[in-house]
Amino acid sequence: MAVILKVEGLEVEFSVRGQRLKAIRKASLDLYEKETLAIVGESGSGKSVLIKSLTGMLEENGEITKGSIKFEGMDLATLKKNSQWQGIRGKKIATVFQDPMTALNPMRRVGSQIEEAIQLHSGESRKSARKKAIELMEKVGIEGAASRFSQYPHEFSGGMRQRIVIAIALACQPKVLLCDEPTTALDVRVQAQILDLISGLQEELGLTVIYITHDLGVVASVADRVAIMYAGQIVEYGGVEDIFYRCAHPYTWALLSSLPQLAFGNEGIYAIGGTPPSLYHDIKGDAFAPRNPYALKIDFEEEPPFFKVGDGHYAKTWLMDPRAPKVKRPKALQNLHGRLKEIYP
Amino acid sequence: MKSYLIMRLLRSFISLTLVMSIVFSLIYTAIPKDRVFYTDTNIEKLQKRPDDLTNYKHLQWARLGFTEYKTLAEFCRESGALDLSACNDSGSDDARLFFEKYLSLGFTVEAFPQSGTLFAYREIPNYRRILNFWGNLFQVENVFAKGSGLHFGRDFNGNLALIGRGTRHKYLIYANGAFPFIHQNLVRISLGQSYPTYRGQDVVQVISGRQGRKVVQQARLGNGEVVETALDLHSCRYNENPSLQLLGMFPDGFSDCSPMRRGPSMLAISFILGFGSLVLSYGIGLPLGVLMASHQGKWIDRLGQAYIIVMMSVPSLAYVVLIRYLGGRYGGLPTMFALYGSQDIRSFMLPTLSLAIGSVAGRMMWMRRYMVDQSSQDYVRFARATGLGEGRIFSRHIFRNAIGPIAHGLPAAVIFTLSGALITESVYGIPGMGKLLPDSIAVYNNTMVIGITFFFTVLSILSTLLGDMLLAILDPRIALYDKHKAGKRRKKP
Repeated sequence: MAVILKVEGLEVEFSVRGQRLKAIRKASLDLYEKETLAIVGESGSGKSVLIKSLTGMLEENGEITKGSIKFEGMDLATLKKNSQWQGIRGKKIATVFQDPMTALNPMRRVGSQIEEAIQLHSGESRKSARKKAIELMEKVGIEGAASRFSQYPHEFSGGMRQRIVIAIALACQPKVLLCDEPTTALDVRVQAQILDLISGLQEELGLTVIYITHDLGVVASVADRVAIMYAGQIVEYGGVEDIFYRCAHPYTWALLSSLPQLAFGNEGIYAIGGTPPSLYHDIKGDAFAPRNPYALKIDFEEEPPFFKVGDGHYAKTWLMDPRAPKVKRPKALQNLHGRLKEIYP
Repeated sequence: MKSYLIMRLLRSFISLTLVMSIVFSLIYTAIPKDRVFYTDTNIEKLQKRPDDLTNYKHLQWARLGFTEYKTLAEFCRESGALDLSACNDSGSDDARLFFEKYLSLGFTVEAFPQSGTLFAYREIPNYRRILNFWGNLFQVENVFAKGSGLHFGRDFNGNLALIGRGTRHKYLIYANGAFPFIHQNLVRISLGQSYPTYRGQDVVQVISGRQGRKVVQQARLGNGEVVETALDLHSCRYNENPSLQLLGMFPDGFSDCSPMRRGPSMLAISFILGFGSLVLSYGIGLPLGVLMASHQGKWIDRLGQAYIIVMMSVPSLAYVVLIRYLGGRYGGLPTMFALYGSQDIRSFMLPTLSLAIGSVAGRMMWMRRYMVDQSSQDYVRFARATGLGEGRIFSRHIFRNAIGPIAHGLPAAVIFTLSGALITESVYGIPGMGKLLPDSIAVYNNTMVIGITFFFTVLSILSTLLGDMLLAILDPRIALYDKHKAGKRRKKP
């Protein structure tokens, strides 16, 4: 598989009230063509910042300080001005945001908003753009598209609005679709519809999709590969089965154990103790060490490298070092495959 | 929509009634009755004639709606007493009749200090005063009354006019060269008689009638004589007690005519001034606000903010006077309105600028604020992520959405130019609406205060209604529905 987008040693900093906050600390990531990658992590782990930096959508006080983002022979990390980004955003890399209720301009008809996006990069006439917009609306599953074309966003339900948002994102036939928690604001039934829609479109259009989510259910149902983020770093990545059944990083263990479905009937729901580290200061050793019950002495002193766990499966933990003591995975994760089968027959 | 508007107008009417009730009770109960004579020079003249003074005061009170007033002399005249002086005597049978009748009606009966003849008065309750106000609001010519009639004919200029007989006005519908060219006297709005300033004129006449120098023109009078006159013959009303001279000039009895004047009315002057400055302040303020928003945090934005803060914190009197000085000293423009008068556009220049310069700051502030509000919305982020250029995002999304709340305030801004500008009008000596209310309060011109309050209340009701309608047109999320009705409509299968 060909690598379509390559992030190497990326560092992103924000200046917040005179202080520097390092939101992404040397993150590296390969994105393969036509795959679905899920980036998982708790709030503040840097998932959204990572995604935003791929389209230059960082807030004004944020900037890429190190590293590169290679895409189609360009280094996106060096682009600064909005005008430089215009050939990339929407046209090559499109984004779907979390909240469909606010992502559309409430004062303009949905049709004209889709039309606008179509005309943007193709320079098509109004008439053919309109035709294409209606086709696109049909493609994202809006019934009676021709008549709903001239309705306003408030006349659509949340799920329908997210479909419009997806239609706009796909209007310029991008190669990469970034989905920033696209289903968090929707109810469960609609969630599944939207995920199905994105998967279907992905196959049809040959899209490469990155999901950001903290919903491991979404990960399991759509992702080919998963990257786990913690404190601005990717700590483990691999195929979806690797991550669920053969995960090696204690943070991934903790994350999976905290799934409420996996709690044993007579025990409380597992929660990760402590809080994430402050990103205002340099972090010594493994960022997860203070919250890690399996932490070794070296975790507090030196940052671990990535260790190979299996084919395409890497984890950034000293536990994988041959010299480290062998530890057993948490009880909740043992025989996970069998238990998941019990829960979701 | 239609039912919404009807309900809304009904609610407006209720609030108007409430406002009027409050104003009426405040004015008629909180202000001592004697205060209305505060600036009346007649009181001084009548000091030596106590009977006339008492009569004068009671007559004015009755005219102003404080009391009902009746003298024994009137009673005698009405009852058709043969010997008026005998009847007038406080010891007569008629006097006893008068005393008993009005005492039983709840009047206070008193005797004049010198002659000792009787008079009676009684306070009019507030609800009656309010009812009278509403009842007199529309004065409709009753052309169907006995002895009345109307016909088409020629007026003194030979133009076609609808002429009344037995009516209050002679010309009910007529045409002349002044906007809007065809005028009517069939229905007139009356807010009561002004007193003690603008004595004898209706409040409506005071604020909407032309002012300034009289215009003399040629006209053919009713007796066939062609004269030079300053009277507006179209305004002539029936005169109950005409002098012989008037009767000679106007044999048909319509001899109560008001003079024709050159200058625009108070309302018109305030509107010209206000509208000019409005155009100026929107024309300058909105683009500057947009500029500030698009250069948020840059020096141009900071400069604008400094201007806004200065204009908001400096009292307007200060910069009005400064502009007047600079304009007069270096621009050669008139510093007093009366210098060139209302016919000269130069008279309006400095006042318009003075008014605009302060309100520009407000327009800038709000426009910038709405734009900044919009630019931090999610849909702007999404539009940017879609690849829309900054210029297009700014014009098609941010500006378009920010203009809604500005438009909402626009009708109010236009309509409230009619209420005038107190400070600017005072500094330049402009005969506009601004000073009318404070001046009227100062001289206890109660009718005027009530009339202007009514007028301003109607204006504000009207302007919020128009603003809401405009916003509903611009913002698709807003629909003018009655909540109750909308719920019913939804239930229908």
